Amino acid sequence: MSDRQRGKGIGLFALAAAVAALVAVAVASAGGTRQAACGDVVLNENSWVGSTANVYVVKNVLEKRLKCKVTVTNITEGQPAFQAMADDKIDVVLEDWDNSLVPSNKKYVTTKSIVPVGSNGIAGIIGWYIPRYLLKQYPQFKTWKGLKGNESVFKTAESSPNAGTFLGGDPSYVQKDRALIKELGLNLKHVVSGAEPAQVARWTTLYKQHKPVLFYWYDPQYLNAIYDLYRVQLPKRFKGCIDDEKAKGNHACEYAGYPTLDKFVSSGFAKSGSPALKVVKKFKWTSADQNFVSNLISGKHMDKDKAAAVWVAKHKATVNSWLK
Amino acid sequence: MSTITEARAVTTSVVSHVPWWRGKIVQVGAIVGVMWLAYRGWKTEYPWPSDLVWNGLQARFDSIQTYLIDQRLEGGGGLLFSLFDGFRVFADNLVEWFNNLLVWLTWIGTTVAGTLLAWRFGGLRAGIWAIAAFASFAISGLWAESMETLALMLAAVGLSILIGVPLGIAAGRSRRFNRAITPFLDAAQIVPAFAYLMPVVLFFSIGYAAAVVATMIYAIPPCIRITALGIRRVPVNTVEAAASMGATNRQMLTKVQLPMSRRMLLLGLNQTILFALSMVVIAGLIGGGGLGAVVNSGLFSNPALAILAGIVIVVMAMALDRITEAVANRTDPTKRHLDATARRRLRIESLVVAAAIAGTVIVAKAIGVSGEFPESAGIRQRAVTAQDWLLAQIQKMLDYVADPTTWVFQVTDATGTFILTRLLLPLQAFLVEAPWFTTLGGLVLIAFVVSGLRPAITTFFMLALIGFMGVWELAMDTLSQVLVATLIAVVLGFGLGVWASESRTVSGVMRPINDVLQTLPQLVYIIPFIYLMPVSIVPGIVAAVLYAFPVVVRLVERGLKDVAPEAVEAAGAFGATRGQILRKVKIPLAGDAIMLGVNQGIIMVLAVVVIGGLVGSGGLGYEVAQGLVRGQFGQGVIASIAILALGIALDRVTQGARQARKEDIA
Repeated sequence: MSDRQRGKGIGLFALAAAVAALVAVAVASAGGTRQAACGDVVLNENSWVGSTANVYVVKNVLEKRLKCKVTVTNITEGQPAFQAMADDKIDVVLEDWDNSLVPSNKKYVTTKSIVPVGSNGIAGIIGWYIPRYLLKQYPQFKTWKGLKGNESVFKTAESSPNAGTFLGGDPSYVQKDRALIKELGLNLKHVVSGAEPAQVARWTTLYKQHKPVLFYWYDPQYLNAIYDLYRVQLPKRFKGCIDDEKAKGNHACEYAGYPTLDKFVSSGFAKSGSPALKVVKKFKWTSADQNFVSNLISGKHMDKDKAAAVWVAKHKATVNSWLK
Repeated sequence: MSTITEARAVTTSVVSHVPWWRGKIVQVGAIVGVMWLAYRGWKTEYPWPSDLVWNGLQARFDSIQTYLIDQRLEGGGGLLFSLFDGFRVFADNLVEWFNNLLVWLTWIGTTVAGTLLAWRFGGLRAGIWAIAAFASFAISGLWAESMETLALMLAAVGLSILIGVPLGIAAGRSRRFNRAITPFLDAAQIVPAFAYLMPVVLFFSIGYAAAVVATMIYAIPPCIRITALGIRRVPVNTVEAAASMGATNRQMLTKVQLPMSRRMLLLGLNQTILFALSMVVIAGLIGGGGLGAVVNSGLFSNPALAILAGIVIVVMAMALDRITEAVANRTDPTKRHLDATARRRLRIESLVVAAAIAGTVIVAKAIGVSGEFPESAGIRQRAVTAQDWLLAQIQKMLDYVADPTTWVFQVTDATGTFILTRLLLPLQAFLVEAPWFTTLGGLVLIAFVVSGLRPAITTFFMLALIGFMGVWELAMDTLSQVLVATLIAVVLGFGLGVWASESRTVSGVMRPINDVLQTLPQLVYIIPFIYLMPVSIVPGIVAAVLYAFPVVVRLVERGLKDVAPEAVEAAGAFGATRGQILRKVKIPLAGDAIMLGVNQGIIMVLAVVVIGGLVGSGGLGYEVAQGLVRGQFGQGVIASIAILALGIALDRVTQGARQARKEDIA
């Protein structure tokens, strides 16, 4: 028996030795192969298409013009991404929707783990949207006052007979619609619709059927170029009006929105002196630009890099201004 | 894919001919009737009293988060953080090293090595599975991502085994240790991964290490459980015989218990791999990269690509499942009896395989084969993958699904609305709006009737905890969805399980479907359902049903097949028809296994509550998801604890029945 076992042992040993030899060579040859003039840059792509557009356009410029080695990560926005920047795992976030202002995240800014490097040129708008075709029959829906008494237009299986349904937004977005509905005295049932793809699935299905739908939405968003939407006018902002649903106070006004969406770099990258830093700092474009690229990627299903290249080729002057 | 649940099924035994539950159904019905009357009488008048809520709880949890972030950023934390840092560097390097190895071998070398190793230890079919998997990585154009995921799996599974097997052995040999560790295992499997992503990120930053840790938390429990079961299943007389021959404790383990439970240990490996693979997408959120990252970014920007990556994950899971299962069966010492010639042949095979792998890699490196499967080749750089074609096909399907003018939509939309208005909304209203004390009392009484005193006490404390944390309404909302999803899953699973037990073909067809539904990331297949059933809660229910019913099918099928053949033969001798045997003999005798199906169905449904929250179910799932993404740690933790409490309560109500019975028998 021992003899037979030894025989089996030799076979396995040979196998193990072969694998070990390969492994040893692999270890020896790994690493130390890539080193570009500009060095490595890590950009973080977030879960909305606009973010993808930002990242791939900047990636194109850094790779083609500065010969950087760009890596794209997909870390969840907010705290996970900020912690990653504090640990030097991510260099750049190109569009932050005020996550840096969330109380538990403020520390990342005050300790300079993440360094703001200005706006990316895009203004974020949040509000209540309806399909424009509804205005033909109900011109009063231009403002919230027109909704009052007509809520049952937005009736669905989920709302009681004379109430309407309001489709809430992605859990990661700022929302105060429950409080707004209550404080404005509207007979609407707020329905959470889950992550953005889920919400999109719901309102686009109703849109395609030409049915009424009222929902939380925002701009810039490439779908706004495909679907003709109208933003319902909510009460104008006044002093003391707040957007934080959980906080006590008056919520009965339109969303503050985001006059600027900020870019952030990690402290390590900020000190690196990489030529890429300059491009990131100067990177600035418009909602129309971003929607154009987003639409190529999501609407036309074009490869992300190709879509970015299309835009870059068309906007040489803008790109050159980032490089100066 | 035999999950951990089967392991539990084994412990049930069929003794009584009178189903224990007959009388209880009437009692439960009476309790529900009283609850219903209370609901009609005092609708919405008695919500959970605010005096019985600890309001500062969320803020407390939030302050833990703030504290941790402060410690992390200001270089404090000392030893604890440096320990975590050490592990982080180690795990990061390990994954990177595996990844480099797979790339260094070149794509041809990796394929040949994987296939030959699978063939050598698992046989021809295993080899075919391996080559099919590598082919799918190449054809989908996701080679590099697949290798990254494979490397992550190698590291996560390896470390899980390293921790899980010793703990499993300890749990198998000591009942006390087993009892001490079980609550943690339950918690690790029910608490949604979303809830612990934040602490994981704080302790391990983002990247491979964080992904490995998140995966391990989920993959170690089945490893421990199956190992323990394997050790415990070694026949008592064998252990006693060895003891009487004077085997030491150590000899007992290494010469008797481990070799005899070898097959179970390998099945444990198999389960660990599958559980680990089901975490790929979540791991992608915190830097796991690979296919998980493709799914995550694709969901928003290119759903077809997300679906393609999801399919590749399934192929990888199925291949690893079949290969490890084949290895487990082929190398089982209790089944395999080798003579000298067979051993010599195997030895030669090993040498040939080793030589072939080494030879292939050397040649591949010499002629400059690239590390990753190329996207295009030849002078004209023609695409050699079928990615574009595949994406176009998937997109066509998606476009069809998203078109509300097709007949399919007419059917699914109506079905969805029916489930919503007839089942979900009434039940939701009943549970949320009924006076809190009748709901609480009713549920505890049901637990008492079905399972006995101790489970009832546990149920009471769990429900009270939910109310105390201030999430009573959300939890009742979730409970209504869990009940509806379980009901549908059990009805569907029972029917298919009975059918599968009677027909080999159906049984054969169910297995791959089961595999796909358990490993395909839910978010991938649920998006089409949102288009088909655009009514809030319903897609979440669909996700839960699809995830849970295969388990019910499997447990029901197994329960019916395990019915003692004597009983069936006796009935046949009396001239009973096939239908009569099924209805009068098999189903009553398999009652316990079927109840286990219900119990496991509920647990599986709870496991997808967060996914439901992401597709419009609201309730606790939404709170957890929002807690992570909006940096509200406390909110996420409270909702997660509530899900766990709900899970324990429901488990006691249903599983307690078997335990009470077992105690009766004992």
